[in-house]
Amino acid sequence: MNCKFVPSVCSYCGTGCGVLFEVIDGKINATLPLKSHPVNQGKLCIKGWNLHEYINSFMRLKGPLVKEAGRFQKATWDEAVNHAAKNFNRIKADHGPDSIGVLVSAKVTNEENYLAQKLARAAIRTNNVDHCARL
Amino acid sequence: MDITRQVEQLLKQGRVDIFLGYKELYGHLIPHGYTLDNLEELENLKVSQHRYSLEKVATHLVEKKPDLKIGIIARDCNQRALNILYTWNQLNPENIETLGVNCCPSKTRKHGDCSYLEPKKTGEFKKENGIDFNAEPEAFMAEFDNPERFSHWMYEFNKCIKCYGCRNVCPVCFCPECSLENPDLVEPGSLPPEVPIFHLIRATHMAGRCVDCGLCEDACPAEIPLRFLYRQMNQIVGDVFGYAPGEGIEKSPFTIIGDKVTLEPKPMDV
Ligand code: SF4
Ligand code: SF4
Ligand code: SF4
Ligand code: SF4
Repeated sequence: MNCKFVPSVCSYCGTGCGVLFEVIDGKINATLPLKSHPVNQGKLCIKGWNLHEYINSFMRLKGPLVKEAGRFQKATWDEAVNHAAKNFNRIKADHGPDSIGVLVSAKVTNEENYLAQKLARAAIRTNNVDHCARL
Repeated sequence: MDITRQVEQLLKQGRVDIFLGYKELYGHLIPHGYTLDNLEELENLKVSQHRYSLEKVATHLVEKKPDLKIGIIARDCNQRALNILYTWNQLNPENIETLGVNCCPSKTRKHGDCSYLEPKKTGEFKKENGIDFNAEPEAFMAEFDNPERFSHWMYEFNKCIKCYGCRNVCPVCFCPECSLENPDLVEPGSLPPEVPIFHLIRATHMAGRCVDCGLCEDACPAEIPLRFLYRQMNQIVGDVFGYAPGEGIEKSPFTIIGDKVTLEPKPMDV
């Protein structure tokens, strides 16, 4: 039997509270607030306290799915990215780049948000970038 | 013998299968389970100024493996909580080894290593409208009459964000079905939760159980003086039954289901 604690950051909102995952035999069993974290100082909201539930949820998406003939099919990352790129290109060609918008999220890192706006502005060529906090 | 060698011995002699202590990771002191498989990590064993409920972790471990032998770094508050867990059959004292660490007040140091020993600060607004964390119950009772006390408590309770942190962090909250999630008692989906009932349910459950470790108050994002509430609760338990939770492993006056009550209630002064 082994038991360790893994520090992480809550992925639910932009506050970014520090959490500790209680990992028993490789499975996340509970979430605790990280007491020494400068942001939340040992406190969490109800979402943070229950992070382990979605990690362990049987409904959790663990790989890409592509919708074919109205049904989601398992796909590899290459297939999924190619599928998305092909369709974005088609929409852009038919309706112009401003027919596409990119919504970013407080749940991801600054760096990922930066990359997402780069994708919107430099690759898709639209300024339609917005953030979930404004929805 | 220093604590690292003591843990090494416990593990090597097979007296414990896992030892719950602390280690430092990225500058944070966090709990860690030391076993024979990771004996080399033992050199990082630390005593932490931050307190986590290692005994609660132990209850999670025995849920998976009931006969697991567990060692625990124990301050006074951990020890008191362990006593309650023994009393309520959540842990078997025969399977638990504790290594006591410095706690306040001790012979060697005036102050222990834990944050609990630094009194919490209360702001002026809170003092005026709510409740001072460090208030003396007698002074609080003397200063305010009934409606005033109620309004001070309601000021505190209304801040509750219903995170359930107080229950989740509490070493002696172990019920598989918690009353705080019972829709007949606490209306789901409303915020703040139904007050004062939400807090009073928990307060009554802490009668004869709360060991005043302060973890709930540390975890409360709304800075509600929960220890003050539960301390007053347990003052009544002390007055009526002469029972102080966690001081020993005798039966609690509240372990009545299917059990003979061993503590006689004392006559109440009305
Ligand atoms: S614990 Fe709550 S407040 Fe903190 S980051 Fe997670 S969702 Fe946000
Ligand atoms: S609040 Fe009451 S019902 Fe809920 S876990 Fe604690 S003691 Fe049990
Ligand atoms: S002080 Fe709070 S966390 Fe500690 S035993 Fe009492 S109710 Fe539980
Ligand atoms: S920890 Fe505080 S805010 Fe959270 S449910 Fe308990 S009393 Fe309410």
